[in-house]
Amino acid sequence: MAEYKTVEKVCGPQRKGETQLGVLYDNGKVRRRREWRGVKDTFYDYTRWLYLVSVLARFVAKPRNIKGFFRYRWMANYLGVMHGMDKFTIGLRDEPLRIAHTAMNFVINDVTQAIDHCFRGDRRVGNDKKYSDNCVLTDENAMTAFMMGFPNVNAILREVPTMFSANIFNQYSTTHYLDVAQEWGLPGDVCPMPEAESGISIEDDFCVLGCCAVQVNTTCDGSLMGNGIIAKRLEQDYNIPTFQLVAPMRHRMDDVQDYAAEDIRRAIAFVEEHTGQKWDWDAYFACAKRVNDATRKRIAQMEINSTDYPQFVGSVFSLYNDTNYMGNCGRSPDFVKIDEKLLKLAERGYQKKRMLATEYRHRCIIWGVQPQYIIDMLYWMIQCWGVVPLTDMLSMVNTKMIAEEDTPENREQAYYDMAWLNMNMIMRNRTHGGYRVLVDELWEFCEQMNADMVMMWEHMSCKAFDGMHGIFEEQARERGIHIVWVTHDLCDPRVYSRQDIRDQFNVYMRTVMREEPLDPTIEVLPDNDAW
Amino acid sequence: MPKPLKIVLKILAVPVIFFAVTFPIYFFNLDMKMTSKLEPFLLKHYDNLPRDAHL
Amino acid sequence: MRDLKHLGYLEDLLQEANNELIQKAKRDGRVCIASVCENIPEPLLNLGNAFSVRLTAPNTGSMDIATYYMTGLLCETSRALLERAIEGGFNFADGVVSPDGCTMINRCVENMELLQTMGKGNEHFFIEFMEIPLKGDDNGVGLLVKQCANHILKPLKENYGIDTSDAAIRQAVGVHNHVCELIREIGDFRKEEYPRITGYEFHILTLATYVCPKDLLIPILEETLEEVRNREPEPAKARARVMVVGSEGDDSGFIKLIEECGAFVCADRFCFGSLPGRNPISLNDDEDALTQVCAHYTYSCQCPRMMNMAKVYGRKQYVAELAKEYNADGILYDQIKFCDPWAYERMLGSYMLREDYGYPVLSVDRPYNIKSSAGQMRTRVQAFVESIELKKLQGGAK
Repeated sequence: MAEYKTVEKVCGPQRKGETQLGVLYDNGKVRRRREWRGVKDTFYDYTRWLYLVSVLARFVAKPRNIKGFFRYRWMANYLGVMHGMDKFTIGLRDEPLRIAHTAMNFVINDVTQAIDHCFRGDRRVGNDKKYSDNCVLTDENAMTAFMMGFPNVNAILREVPTMFSANIFNQYSTTHYLDVAQEWGLPGDVCPMPEAESGISIEDDFCVLGCCAVQVNTTCDGSLMGNGIIAKRLEQDYNIPTFQLVAPMRHRMDDVQDYAAEDIRRAIAFVEEHTGQKWDWDAYFACAKRVNDATRKRIAQMEINSTDYPQFVGSVFSLYNDTNYMGNCGRSPDFVKIDEKLLKLAERGYQKKRMLATEYRHRCIIWGVQPQYIIDMLYWMIQCWGVVPLTDMLSMVNTKMIAEEDTPENREQAYYDMAWLNMNMIMRNRTHGGYRVLVDELWEFCEQMNADMVMMWEHMSCKAFDGMHGIFEEQARERGIHIVWVTHDLCDPRVYSRQDIRDQFNVYMRTVMREEPLDPTIEVLPDNDAW
Repeated sequence: MPKPLKIVLKILAVPVIFFAVTFPIYFFNLDMKMTSKLEPFLLKHYDNLPRDAHL
Repeated sequence: MRDLKHLGYLEDLLQEANNELIQKAKRDGRVCIASVCENIPEPLLNLGNAFSVRLTAPNTGSMDIATYYMTGLLCETSRALLERAIEGGFNFADGVVSPDGCTMINRCVENMELLQTMGKGNEHFFIEFMEIPLKGDDNGVGLLVKQCANHILKPLKENYGIDTSDAAIRQAVGVHNHVCELIREIGDFRKEEYPRITGYEFHILTLATYVCPKDLLIPILEETLEEVRNREPEPAKARARVMVVGSEGDDSGFIKLIEECGAFVCADRFCFGSLPGRNPISLNDDEDALTQVCAHYTYSCQCPRMMNMAKVYGRKQYVAELAKEYNADGILYDQIKFCDPWAYERMLGSYMLREDYGYPVLSVDRPYNIKSSAGQMRTRVQAFVESIELKKLQGGAK
């Protein structure tokens, strides 16, 4: 067993405004009040609140969206959007605050638009048939790479607002659907994400639109199997044909690439057949350039995070990367401007040595699959214990540049590139593909980013991850890396409450690291009933 | 008071009043406190909707 | 009915992973290639002097060490296999071929590799991970051909000098088919109104063909077939004819328990069963044998991870067709606890077989070793058998 690695403590100036964040909490569903961040930053936060209010106001101004709001149970979770934003900015000032808002406001806007598009085409709500006939339903946990060459077709990620983002705003957003799935015979030990999606499908609580649907077996066995439940309903009840696109498991092996690329060709042919639109190579290569640009900027952000003054970290970093890399996949030019702005803010913050807390005691890689309902814990870790999360597993995605010039060779290469992106979906590129991508590369990242600690989100229903538990333990010991195991059940707070999750971290910091919290007022938070 | 000044003050009053109304809502989290009260009624409404539940 | 002559011998064989026939084959200088999944084309592991063994962990008790490595949340099959490997119970294997099929078995074998549980003292030992098709289509066949070439044929040739030619594959398929034909012919007796073989006895025979060198079983199977042909059946009918559908069915104790509750297990649609695992492979002379073998496995595969909708619906249709062919009164869908693919397959399968095909269905999950929850299972099965009897009395099981 090696000696445990240590890193130098980094101290910063006293924080403006609230120094003890516990005053913001009571036992209620929402906070007692918002944070005082000093005049400048509080005013900035206020203007961002106004912006989000305007986004939501534009959404509810459309009567069809009100109709959708009262039709779909999962819409109730969006009452808590502003509360969710507050969770992601706790304790932040200066550039880190602006980074969190820039990224997260954009994500919220993007999700709002996604819901608006769903309702527009939904047969039960907007019923815009012409629009709907030009829509392709895509999976939640799936890259939209195969849509890169269809600039005039709408990719509808209808599972994102129902499950993925809803759980960020309300911890109890999925419990009803989990119960439905279990009532219909699905055991409770499977991953709650596809389980909830199955429950939504069983209850017919998905928007119904689109001329066809493309499903992918990412992330995992559960997603693969849940697709069958959803596709059966789409095909038999709503006459929406489905295509199952393969993402081979062993994505690093050369001898699976042909298989993957061929299925991309077939998925594209399927979309062409059902939409009547032809694949557009100009549009594809324009998207490819944007994908590469996003890759370069993500790498640049991580280079900053490898220094003593990381800037774009935490939950918002993860969620923004999910949205940009997976949901967008180069299709929207809006992300390019946001990427540029974020990088400028990060570079400025780095030069000014801005910190997210008064002290950094540990540098931490976040590994494993995060629980949506407490993803903001990464900010809590910084404020409570001075543990700064440098990056997370879901952000450690493709770093390879794809072909972006339109040539005959590159048109052939494009299918392989799309297949590569498809296989390297967030989270899945690590949980599947062999232990090297999950275990070995973690230690490489610890080395590259000078991390002395790994916070291991142990999603108890993620068998791909849990299956390596013992190996992680042994290898971490050999390398002198602290592993803090934090077990949870993804989106079901009845199994592990938020405080149960935080306590796992608290116990490790007190008993193993023998440290006292930076801010003891937030060590225990009364948020079991909160959104 | 000269008329131009009156006009300017009237114009300035709008953002000042806007700020005076919205900032307390923002700072004391009144928006979320209000919407959180709506949730139980909404959930009851969803429970009462007819459902075509099947696999 | 009169006891089958070789049943006791085969029952004893199945008590050990490293059974007597494996030991005999090893003494004869043969190469043992272990596999962990029905999706690996068996004949390819039986080329030349190689023989295939599906790994099982009979009489598993504690799984504490495997649980440390893999947590208590992974399926018991994967943990039982890892525990046995750590104990040294699979040291007879000269190579392991594992598909990245279901996540848990994949992690099981990865742990075996990292913990170096096998291959000690054998410099030619190999572990190969391969991709297997996710859909039943020509693209999947192409993938399987490439994967088998790279991860089965190549290591067999390079490590053990085994002939992997087309002729060798055809020869292995010939032996495989002979075993399949014997098993299927014995199994066909289950269709009778008064069957001449029990589900348990049949399971013992079939299981043996997965976990022992197949060619060494041929004389036993031939004798058994003759015995069964001439056997007097029981005079009384079973109270209910039940088809068992599921995944890792390597515990004959489970089949025995079902039959002790008054049911007759008339058909076995699970990974260690005969349907479709013991369907002969038809080869023609127009195409290379490897492609034909891979096509057979791709298109006949009933694994729930095959995700195109033709397969999703097709699996339930296959169950319904078998239930009709074997005159089943009801269907028992089972899964090993914590198995993700079969959790969903069981849910949807139970629903469709009831609603669309009109069969009574019992849907259960169970531990790897049925002894640890025999009482609960007995209660469930007894109730199911009674419900079928009542339906029959009321005038129609369907």
